Amino acid sequence: MGRYLLRRLAASLLLLWLVVTLTFLLVHAAPGSPARVLGSSNVGTAEQQTRLRHALGLDRPLHEQYLSWLAAALRGDWGVSQSQGRPVRRMIAEALPNTLLLAVAATFVEYAFALPLGMWAARRHGSAVDHALNAGSLVLYSIPPFWLAIMAILLFARLWPLLPPSHMFSPGAEEWSAAARLGDLARHLLLPATVLGLTVGGGTLRYVRNQLLEVLQRDYVRTARAKGLSERRVVIVHGLRNAAAPLLQLLGINLPALLNGVLILEVVFSWPGLGRVTFDAISARDLPVVLATTTLAAALVVAGNLAADLALAFADPRVRRP
Amino acid sequence: MLPVPPRKPLALLAAGLLTVAAVATAGCGGDAKPAPDATAGPHRGGQVVIGSSTDIGGVNPVILPSAVITSEVIRQLFLPLVEEQPDFKTLKPSLAASWEFSDDHRQLTFHLRPDVLWSDGTPVTANDVAFTYRAWVSPETAFEGAYALEGVERVEVLDAATVRFDFSEPYSTQLLDVATGAVILPEHAWGALPFSEWRNQADWFLDHLVSNGPFRLASWTPQQQIVLERNPFFYDQPLPYLDRVVVRVVPEQANQLTQLLSGQLDYVLQLSPDDLPQVEANPDTRLIAYWTTGYNGLGWNLSRPPLDEVRVRRALTLGIDRSTLVESIWGPYGRVLATPIPPDVWAHHPDIAPLPYDPDAARRLLQESGWVDADGDGVRDQGGRRLSLRLLTNAGNQQREDALVLIQQQLARIGVEARPEVLEFNSMVEKAYAGDFDGLLMGWTLPTTFDFRFAFHSSEADGGANVIGYRNPEMDELLEAIRAQPNLHDAAPLLARFQSLLHEQQPYTFLWQSQRLVGVRNRVHDARPNHLNNLFNLRQWWVDPSN
Repeated sequence: MGRYLLRRLAASLLLLWLVVTLTFLLVHAAPGSPARVLGSSNVGTAEQQTRLRHALGLDRPLHEQYLSWLAAALRGDWGVSQSQGRPVRRMIAEALPNTLLLAVAATFVEYAFALPLGMWAARRHGSAVDHALNAGSLVLYSIPPFWLAIMAILLFARLWPLLPPSHMFSPGAEEWSAAARLGDLARHLLLPATVLGLTVGGGTLRYVRNQLLEVLQRDYVRTARAKGLSERRVVIVHGLRNAAAPLLQLLGINLPALLNGVLILEVVFSWPGLGRVTFDAISARDLPVVLATTTLAAALVVAGNLAADLALAFADPRVRRP
Repeated sequence: MLPVPPRKPLALLAAGLLTVAAVATAGCGGDAKPAPDATAGPHRGGQVVIGSSTDIGGVNPVILPSAVITSEVIRQLFLPLVEEQPDFKTLKPSLAASWEFSDDHRQLTFHLRPDVLWSDGTPVTANDVAFTYRAWVSPETAFEGAYALEGVERVEVLDAATVRFDFSEPYSTQLLDVATGAVILPEHAWGALPFSEWRNQADWFLDHLVSNGPFRLASWTPQQQIVLERNPFFYDQPLPYLDRVVVRVVPEQANQLTQLLSGQLDYVLQLSPDDLPQVEANPDTRLIAYWTTGYNGLGWNLSRPPLDEVRVRRALTLGIDRSTLVESIWGPYGRVLATPIPPDVWAHHPDIAPLPYDPDAARRLLQESGWVDADGDGVRDQGGRRLSLRLLTNAGNQQREDALVLIQQQLARIGVEARPEVLEFNSMVEKAYAGDFDGLLMGWTLPTTFDFRFAFHSSEADGGANVIGYRNPEMDELLEAIRAQPNLHDAAPLLARFQSLLHEQQPYTFLWQSQRLVGVRNRVHDARPNHLNNLFNLRQWWVDPSN
């Protein structure tokens, strides 16, 4: 187990380094520079550009910029945003908890509907219910999150103004009691978390159904049925428990889709998270911020997959033998 | 997003809606639908919630790009020496009660009001002005407006209330450049941080914020909202009527409209023409439309034959049906422009009308310059070269994208092939500066200083904003002469000649000027946004008492 762990860890770090280096090169290769974006209102003055490039350290050779960034990042120093002059660490510290809140709430929504429906479809596989759920999950899987988001806003904020379509809190909420603020936050979380959970959950539903279906055809399930256990108990205890490991792994596999959805939905719902920070930073060619958020997202994905694999390895000894 | 400063030469306009927003109006606009009768007159209290696509990014204007909402908010917090008015003429005393030029027009002395206090009770003095000037011109702060101060030789504090700017020579925008273009900053609060640290410690200014404008900053939650509250120590009466102004950052346009219609937002800075029916149909909302001074045009790459020929450029303008184009894109909210100075500005040349749409004349001109469709494929050619043009614009601006498609169809009728390319904004800017285009559809802001050197002077043709590469000795002389007039209003004949020269030579096919469309809830009264500031008279806004 120890050697397996080490090997996976080393591979993960290598992957992370590759992602970061590629991002660094890509941002540099992209047309436009932070100095030009920042200074484009007085585009005429070449001298101003030179000053700005120097002030931002963009006039140094590429490898020097790369190495000094990497060295600083390893020390935990993410630098200063070129477009805002704020410490990147502080920008991330402000945004990350909000993104995590949205992602966790969305995951909750995702499993809250994908698990029971997936189980239902597996039990009734081949039936009209199964076909309908299959079609439904395919539709959810194919819908672009931003479209569903805009539809949700039109329906639940404009047509039936039930829910706030943006932000984490109402204006003036900063003066309310903690309980009132919590309720306000929950109301604001409902639309983005549901939309995100639904779009990610389409695939999950099918996965749950298929995993369960496979397990339910195993001998031990037949034995359980033969013992006269209730179908409910068969599916939940003997089926779901044995499908648990791959489902756990799915959490890690779904992470990129989740982060991707977060990025888009944060813009649509004015949710102040990492996605917004990244989006604005890309438009401004704000290198330190793009690098930090990309590294963070990559680290999350790599760690998620690693954790999922380790969980699987722990649950299934066959995996950790090469 | 594109910084479009309050008063800057030719700011390249960014991704469409968002930044068309930043451009200005030529004076007055009017409510399309008057606010329902206000039962009571202005009264104190209440709050207004404003929707903005972008966040402010910080509170120190020297290190910030002057993007749309940033300038608006900064000007509620800090005062300039003199306040420019939307008519391009009137100047209103602000921090400076009065000012005068020396006889040789090389010295400009400001007399400050004695009664303006920073929010911590410290008086605003001439030292603040001198400090602000040092911050503007320090290479370390890399202030984006520094170029406008190149004519200033030094700034001298004569006493606490008197400060003098010495210039190397007289020019037309001396007063505007130092007094209205940027706001004065607090030396006692911000002088402690060395300039070299300014771009690294933006939050420091937030932690040490003192201000002197009609509002002060109550809170800023990045990416969420900016809350302003009345500054009880503001020097001028009456104090703002509103208790609070909340600027909510809502990047998604459709979401902004939803919140305006449902009442979560009171004021939306920029609507799209497509949104108007819903705003007009809603009994609680109305539209405020006003002309901006942003102008859109198709700039021709003059270093690429045959676009270096006046005849060909005239043919292209004659071959584009600008009236139909503007009508179909903007309806009543746009008009065809003939010059970069729009009709209701005093410097506009009254006798220049846009060239007509005349495809026959266009075909004739192209024929005369040797472009005929020899191989019969519908596209003119000459010596084996087809008359095929790459036309660029930026993504995210629906109006410009639509315009390119219409232009493509119209040019096809005169035997010119247009190949539209819609690029991400930064990519377009990069290609523009590299001269990698035939035609460039973009927007510029009319500088209130009428200093057009950035766009048309030959010295700016290499690496400057004169991306089309326009070089004309007469134009250079004209632009310099306009700049050298100590009184801008004496430059009217020169500005007229400037416009007729552009009209003769058609380096740009000028397309449209459009109105800015602001959505307002009816409970908000006396909002009079203009091209200088979308929240121009915020201190006079008032709202119906909430029920």
